[in-house]
Amino acid sequence: MKPAQQYHLDGVRKVFGRGQVALEGFDLKVARGERVALIGPSGAGKTTLFRMLNCTIRPTSGHLRIGGQEVADLYGRSLREMRRRIGTIYQQHNLVPRLRVLHNVLSGRLGSWSLLGSLASLARPSQLETAHRALTDVGIGEKLFSRTDELSGGQQQRVAIARVLVQDPDVILADEPVSSVDPSLAETIIKLLIAISDDTRKTLLVNLHSTDLALSYFPRVIGMKAGVKLFDTATSRVTPELLQELYSGHAPVNGAGEPYREPEHRRTAV
Amino acid sequence: MNSTPRTLGSRSIFPYVFGGLFLLVLADSWRRAEVDPGIFFEAEGREHLWRFVTGMYPPELSWDFLELMVRPTLETIQISVMGTLIAVLIGFPLGLLATSTFSFQGILHESEYRGFGPRHAFKVCLYGLARGLLSLFRCIPEFVWAFMFVRAVGLGPFPGVLAIGVAYGGMLGKVYSEIFESVNERPLEAIQSTGAGRLQIFFYGWFPQVLPNITSYTLYRWECAVRTSAILGLVGAGGIGQQIEISIRMFNFHEVTTLLIILFSLVAGADYVSAKVRSLL
Repeated sequence: MKPAQQYHLDGVRKVFGRGQVALEGFDLKVARGERVALIGPSGAGKTTLFRMLNCTIRPTSGHLRIGGQEVADLYGRSLREMRRRIGTIYQQHNLVPRLRVLHNVLSGRLGSWSLLGSLASLARPSQLETAHRALTDVGIGEKLFSRTDELSGGQQQRVAIARVLVQDPDVILADEPVSSVDPSLAETIIKLLIAISDDTRKTLLVNLHSTDLALSYFPRVIGMKAGVKLFDTATSRVTPELLQELYSGHAPVNGAGEPYREPEHRRTAV
Repeated sequence: MNSTPRTLGSRSIFPYVFGGLFLLVLADSWRRAEVDPGIFFEAEGREHLWRFVTGMYPPELSWDFLELMVRPTLETIQISVMGTLIAVLIGFPLGLLATSTFSFQGILHESEYRGFGPRHAFKVCLYGLARGLLSLFRCIPEFVWAFMFVRAVGLGPFPGVLAIGVAYGGMLGKVYSEIFESVNERPLEAIQSTGAGRLQIFFYGWFPQVLPNITSYTLYRWECAVRTSAILGLVGAGGIGQQIEISIRMFNFHEVTTLLIILFSLVAGADYVSAKVRSLL
């Protein structure tokens, strides 16, 4: 039996190199199949949280359990297996521009492929059918053989979603998936993500800039500010006052000091 | 507070000091480098020059001579190709080791996961060693390398190949490592998050990012290698250069003209080919 809890965070704290506190005393429980939106001003630590949730970085202290397993105990193969079960869609889609679309999509399979198998696929694509189906699902099946950097921003975001589709994880994390596309497309992409998670009973966590999208499509909303959780509640209970507090210039009473700023080399070049 | 910014009118003595130093260096260099334009005007000097210039015309185009030059011409191309190949074999691995994002953090901040132990110290040593080797290789001119290799392995094309391989290996490695440093890590992080292993990240995310740039730079270096292999011939490392040296020593200046024409076509040809290939990238 799989435990019902997808994520269980207990007092998670993250401090970066020069003592920047990115996350402080963070508790969170997310059930399997749940749909949660995270909102908050930039610098609130949402991206840092997501990078911990997909095992890219480790908490400085506190407990992070995924599916009942303590992430601190995972190394090498077990760590990669855990990562394979978590799919991430990034703000900048993070595709390899020079590769053809199909290889970017199929890189979602790398966690399941052997090294030799994945090298062979670069020369002679395996599971072409899988890649094509995923692209068709996100509405750009005809782009299979295009070079990725020839696609528009919105199309590239769809390629990133197709990559998660072929990865077939238990959880989908979407870190500001719509901040680089225009508003009408944003809604389409959010609907697409929800449809995917519904169809396959995946847990879906989305970071959003737009409170409108969060409030209209997600049953549960978490507000984050300066590295701490400000509220975590059913969408129906989110009041204008709460939102005002979330986006006001004042740090919360139990603030975690300086808001986290990303290191230079990671800064977004839009 | 900051001091007030210097304006154009401010009286700093530095421009005068540097200006004076510059004039001194210039005057001294003129004297020591034995620059003597007078030679172009003296009767004897003019005669020498005239004999040299007229001796070069017409180019030697006899069939016998041309046929004899086919081999050295091909040899020059072969030296440049093999030399560049060896340079890539030296430059790529050393360039990787000399890349700090690789040596210190792994492709993706693995230090977060591995910590800093003796392993880290070992990597720092490797990094320093690779950088040191690369600068040693490229600081010694290919001409000097060729001279040493001629002593070590004898006359012929091979010392030329080795000289280009080592000197260019140093240059390639340096530029490669700069290209490697500028790799965008975001796609790598995304690929890692699918559960991919390190080598998979390398081939799917890292290599496609660097390939166009390193190909383009390597082709450019090959172009230079064609020219260099001619110079190296002058110290006995085979190819067209060796023929030029022989012809000059025999006072057969019209042969030199032919050889320079061949060299020019080779360099222009290499230029054309590499430009063509690079435009496809």
